[in-house]
Amino acid sequence: MTRAAPLAVVLIAAALLVTFPYWSAAWESSRFATTVLRDMLVFAIFALSLDLLVGYAGMPSLGHAAFFGAGAYAAGITGQRLATDQLPVTLGAAALVAAVLALVIGALVVRSEGIFFLMLTLALAQIVFAIAFQWTALTGGSNGLSGVGRPTLAGLDFSAPDRMYVLVAVTFLGVALLLWSLVRSPYGRALVGVRENERRMRALGYDTARLKLSAFVVAGALAGIAGALSAYSQRFVSPGDAGIGTSIQAFVMVLIGGAGTLLGPVLGAGVVMYIQRVLSSAIGVSETVLGLVFIAFVLLARQGMVGVGRAAWSRARSR
Amino acid sequence: MSPELLFQQALNGLSFGALLFILAAGLSLVFGMMDVINLAHGAFYMLGAYVALTVVQRTGSFWLALVAAPSALGLLGLVLEPLLLRRLRGRHLDQVLLTIGVALVVVDQIGLVWGREVRSLPFPPGLDASIAIFGSVYPVYRLFVIAFGVVLAAAISVVYRRTKLGMLIRAGVQDAEMLGALGVDIDRLFAITFAVGAALAGLAGVIAAPVFGMQPGMDSDGLLYSLIVVVVGGLGTLGGAVAGSVLVGPIDTFGKVLFQDFALALIFAIVALVLLLKPTGLLGRVRIAR
Amino acid sequence: MVASEIPMIEIRDLRRAFGGVVALDGVSLAIGEGERRAIIGPNGAGKTTLFNVLTGELPPSGGAVRLRGKDITTLRPWQRARLGLARMYQRNELFAPLSARENVALSLGARAGPYRPFVARPRSDYLAADQLLEEVGLLGREHVAAQALSHGERRQLELALVLAQRPRVLLLDEPTAGMSPAETARITELIGGLGRALTILIVEHDMDVVFRLADRVSVLHEGRVIADGSASEIRGDVRVNEVYLGKALAVT
Repeated sequence: MTRAAPLAVVLIAAALLVTFPYWSAAWESSRFATTVLRDMLVFAIFALSLDLLVGYAGMPSLGHAAFFGAGAYAAGITGQRLATDQLPVTLGAAALVAAVLALVIGALVVRSEGIFFLMLTLALAQIVFAIAFQWTALTGGSNGLSGVGRPTLAGLDFSAPDRMYVLVAVTFLGVALLLWSLVRSPYGRALVGVRENERRMRALGYDTARLKLSAFVVAGALAGIAGALSAYSQRFVSPGDAGIGTSIQAFVMVLIGGAGTLLGPVLGAGVVMYIQRVLSSAIGVSETVLGLVFIAFVLLARQGMVGVGRAAWSRARSR
Repeated sequence: MSPELLFQQALNGLSFGALLFILAAGLSLVFGMMDVINLAHGAFYMLGAYVALTVVQRTGSFWLALVAAPSALGLLGLVLEPLLLRRLRGRHLDQVLLTIGVALVVVDQIGLVWGREVRSLPFPPGLDASIAIFGSVYPVYRLFVIAFGVVLAAAISVVYRRTKLGMLIRAGVQDAEMLGALGVDIDRLFAITFAVGAALAGLAGVIAAPVFGMQPGMDSDGLLYSLIVVVVGGLGTLGGAVAGSVLVGPIDTFGKVLFQDFALALIFAIVALVLLLKPTGLLGRVRIAR
Repeated sequence: MVASEIPMIEIRDLRRAFGGVVALDGVSLAIGEGERRAIIGPNGAGKTTLFNVLTGELPPSGGAVRLRGKDITTLRPWQRARLGLARMYQRNELFAPLSARENVALSLGARAGPYRPFVARPRSDYLAADQLLEEVGLLGREHVAAQALSHGERRQLELALVLAQRPRVLLLDEPTAGMSPAETARITELIGGLGRALTILIVEHDMDVVFRLADRVSVLHEGRVIADGSASEIRGDVRVNEVYLGKALAVT
């Protein structure tokens, strides 16, 4: 009973999530909630991928948007140049390009630490941004890449808003499941070991450079998938998708939600998107609110929402 | 490229370099002293320009703005350091994250107070003409920027080497912990350093505004260029800021002229290369493990 | 040459300098399989530097290190660990927020290679971890986070971590540092009980422990080996007594 109950809850929640546009149509015919939730889930995937680096492997990257942007552009460009809308082709291209880019950048950054790692990831991501911004022939330059098509899979067309949402939701669940099994595995535990005490891990016999690089590539590929979904959803890719603002946005999501957990980045994506999309129309100071919230978390609740929740839970239990 | 054009671009490179020095010096100083990369540095640069705009609109004086804007930024820095950064003393990464939050707030507030359209600061009267040099015509203001940069570097150098504050800062850059153990009020020193860094960023904002204008996104540009300069020239030293800006200014200028499409990528590739080969920058010193 | 005559560890003319400071000035040692060798010497003699070079965390300025005849001088720390070299640190190097059990499980998982990405860690790993914890005396403390353990318990966990590596050679860096007499006795007993399949190199200041555990003792002073022999030979050596001012080696 105690084993089955949480699983049942998760399955029901997943089902509700995937079918959201269909049961929410009753009370929101404008599709606004569906669009916002869709974008939240895209960023949740992005934030989850960053958390693998920041929260689990202990590699604080400020250049993760390079892979998000690369994936977005790859999906859009492949679709247009190969005149295809087949999901496996464009999504596969996105994951592949992002993974290869992560392999290259990762090989360069993996041996640095702390502040230098931070700046190196930032600098290398800016190269990607600069290329996206200036290689007009390939990427559309500062105007961005427009006319990105919605994908199809085995005859199923994802052009309609509710279909597109389902694609995003299903991908999100797949990525979440993948990461959940990854972090519980010996590989995932090894990443945590590297974060906590890399010197000891080396002394125990782990090739930590290879572990960190592999985590970088996995995180990059997943970010690329998020980027592709963003490209399909917006039907557009802008150079800013690979820029410092996007990298920072993901970092803020991970921290506010709770780094080193899986629920954290998802919550963080929800909170940040809520502030930026919903709150911003009600009050004009949404970025200020976001900045203040972020500062508050860094100062007072470094473990994020999940950390605060856990602390409250254990205090309640010990009463 | 004709000799006249070459000469003009060289002057452009130098004036850009001078501006970069003013911009990057503050970032380098704060990092050298506090081991924190102030990611709000670009936001401070932007705020300086907009404060100057208001001062010029109210009083008509560019020169007043040149004093007022850095002062305002210095005050802001003096408030922010004890309010926020000091609470996380020793947690360098978290302090960097804090500055991200500050940047978000500052940039948003600028947009709210001054709006998000492109604005410009008029050239100060007296410096708005062009003069003939070696057969071509060149804006006086840019020559002023070069001169201002040189004078400022000299002034900073004097303060750095001849005054007590300068000595404290030099010592703090070397080993702040030791300095604290010797009885120096580190809290005050850090606050002053952060304030000076912010003031210099604001000053750069004022100087740059007539040439580059003001628009959303200038905070990112400012931050990125200061990062480029300090990484290339050497983190944490003023000499590094000079070396970096003298190199990056002309390279960026000529790069844009010669390799239009890939100038930006080129600059960042150089940054990455330096970080990989000599992480402390061209003039940076190897730091004892922190 | 008979296989057992090849020393387990052979250190030839090892040198290491830091700028102008010479930490190791031509150290040569040969340690046989199954031997218990103690390295003693005053502070600054180069003992920790020696260990750091042996484990590969520090490259030597000159000289060579051989493990069972194989030259490992240029190998990385993790490669040496895979060849059977394990080090117990003087200041605990644990995984602070992880439980004692998770700490040991990480060590157990090192040799198999951790690249099993989607399967949860097998139960057998945890059972083996619990068993090791019991052996070192941490029964009942499996689920306590390393940072919540007492100092003595953390040393015990340190030992469990290295034993989990199933090493051929064990480097013990001041294993009893900071321990109470009771804890010291316990650790000494544990180390003494380890089988002769293990070769042990131990740096220690506590002479009681040295004489209890060591077959042979090498004395390091200013980066050089100044004496080498059985425990009783060293006790009576004039130079060694000078170096230690006679205090540490005084017959109790």
